[in-house]
Amino acid sequence: MRWLALVAAVLAAFIAAIVLGPAHLPPSELLRSPIVWDLRLPRALLAVLVGGSLGVAGASLQSLVRNPLADPFLLGLSGGAGLGAVLAIALHLGGPWALPLAAFLGALVALGLVFRLGLVGGAELDPRILLLGGVAVGAFTGAITTAIVSLAEASELRNAYLWLWGGLSNASWATVRLIALYVPIPLFLLLTAARPLDLLVLGDESARYLGVEVGGTKRRVYLAASLLTAAAVSVSGVIGFVGLIVPHLGRGLLGTRHRALLPASFLIGGTLLALADTLARVAVAPREVPVGIVTALLGVPLFVLLLRRWSAA
Amino acid sequence: MRRSLSRTHVAGLALAFVAGGCRPSTNRAPEAPPPARRVVSLAPSITELLFALGAGAQLVGRTTYCAYPPAALAVPGVGDGLNPNVEAIAARTPDLVVLYRSPHTETAARQLGSLGIATLVVHHDRLEDIATTARQLGQATGHADAGSAIARQIDSALAAPPRPGPHARVAHVVWDNPPIVIGGGSYLDQLTHLAGAGNVFHDIATPSATVSIETIAARDPDWIAVLRETADPSPPDYAQRPEWRVVRAVREGRFLFLPAELFGQPSARAPEAVAYLRRVLDRFPLPPPAPQ
Repeated sequence: MRWLALVAAVLAAFIAAIVLGPAHLPPSELLRSPIVWDLRLPRALLAVLVGGSLGVAGASLQSLVRNPLADPFLLGLSGGAGLGAVLAIALHLGGPWALPLAAFLGALVALGLVFRLGLVGGAELDPRILLLGGVAVGAFTGAITTAIVSLAEASELRNAYLWLWGGLSNASWATVRLIALYVPIPLFLLLTAARPLDLLVLGDESARYLGVEVGGTKRRVYLAASLLTAAAVSVSGVIGFVGLIVPHLGRGLLGTRHRALLPASFLIGGTLLALADTLARVAVAPREVPVGIVTALLGVPLFVLLLRRWSAA
Repeated sequence: MRRSLSRTHVAGLALAFVAGGCRPSTNRAPEAPPPARRVVSLAPSITELLFALGAGAQLVGRTTYCAYPPAALAVPGVGDGLNPNVEAIAARTPDLVVLYRSPHTETAARQLGSLGIATLVVHHDRLEDIATTARQLGQATGHADAGSAIARQIDSALAAPPRPGPHARVAHVVWDNPPIVIGGGSYLDQLTHLAGAGNVFHDIATPSATVSIETIAARDPDWIAVLRETADPSPPDYAQRPEWRVVRAVREGRFLFLPAELFGQPSARAPEAVAYLRRVLDRFPLPPPAPQ
């Protein structure tokens, strides 16, 4: 039943994203209009893919570092991606793919730095060092980004703003194809780590006794979750809050077993972002608000409601 | 050279211009203070206006963006004007600093005031703001007649009867990702209207706003107006992107390239800008040419 409800929710959010928009289209024209085929459809698909990816990355990372506050961007990736994008803008790199690629590379560099830091205490990625390293790398790249932004020309800042606050206005069939081809690989890697992740949550020692290859599993989960986040950032900038709250919603609905939690996080993340983006496009039409604002406005009350219910239970 | 002389003016001017603002038109100075001799301008539109008033020789500091008229480039830069560097400005020993109103500049204005430097904070989004500022700056710099003359020109341009239709419908797209367009609160909206065309985003009250490509497609402008630094006639990069080709004007290559030097800031040359836009629109009369 719960799975049915989750699938129904993501379908409903997807359909709403296609039917609703600032342009008024009569139902008879919906299937023929290029506004639907070339704008709303790729944007809705991208919202589901990006939201789902952030949800799964968040769920995996929270278990990996055994910290309910972990979020895909806490580990320095957003700072790296933002720096990459802002550098590309400041260096006037041309072409439609220069910015996403630079954001992706920036996230990879941050990932590499944090990963290297995480190995300091041995090969088993100490969660505390990962978290601290992520926050430190994030702060450092953030400082460089702000320095570049405050020295760059005013008109160029607008694009940087999008990358730092998130938005899906970049959506096109090309971005959807790219993400749809890329995302299944890290998603598959994480799903195959579902059982070891269940055990890792109990602690490294317990997991080892139960037969988990702790170091290898952690590295695989960290890299797959980070690559997933980096891809999401490269097409939509830093959309906050989805990766933080979605795993908690998933646990509340379907429990803590990762074989259920990871797919559920994908569906919930996709639903939340598709709904949030629809609201971002429609709520103040003809204007549009950054989608990260809506994910927070939508997610926080929901989160608070569920927190109260869970703590009462 | 004039440095020692200018310092004597500083104290007397200190409070005369603080918190000026352009709307509503006020001239609070109880007695006319002596004209400012060393002026720092913290916005390109202010720099241009000072030169138009004949006060260019009194300008001792400008922003890095002040490029018009070309003579402005000879004036030393004091930063980007958006986050004023009070020390760099004070180092030019001005007796008047003119700032564009924003939270950052109002803080800077207070700091300059406490250093005993007179400030004038102006608001330049609409053409009537230029008329008001022209009068204020004209008086402050000893070019009151020139200020009134510019204000009259702008006022009469604004009062010109509307052109008979049909009106071309224009969208000013200033950024592609996220798409940012010019709304009814901007002088570009006024220039478009005065040239006998309409801004399809006139209903948005702010000077600019983020919208979705879908909204631009639905408003279906006849033209996409783009500011250009150079005379390059090639369409902007985003014109090739499939999501932008949903917009008819983009698909049909209907771009109006407006020189940034004339349209990039509200100025005393508004009548010239209107005439330019009229000429461009008249060259491609409605109904629009067949799709390519």
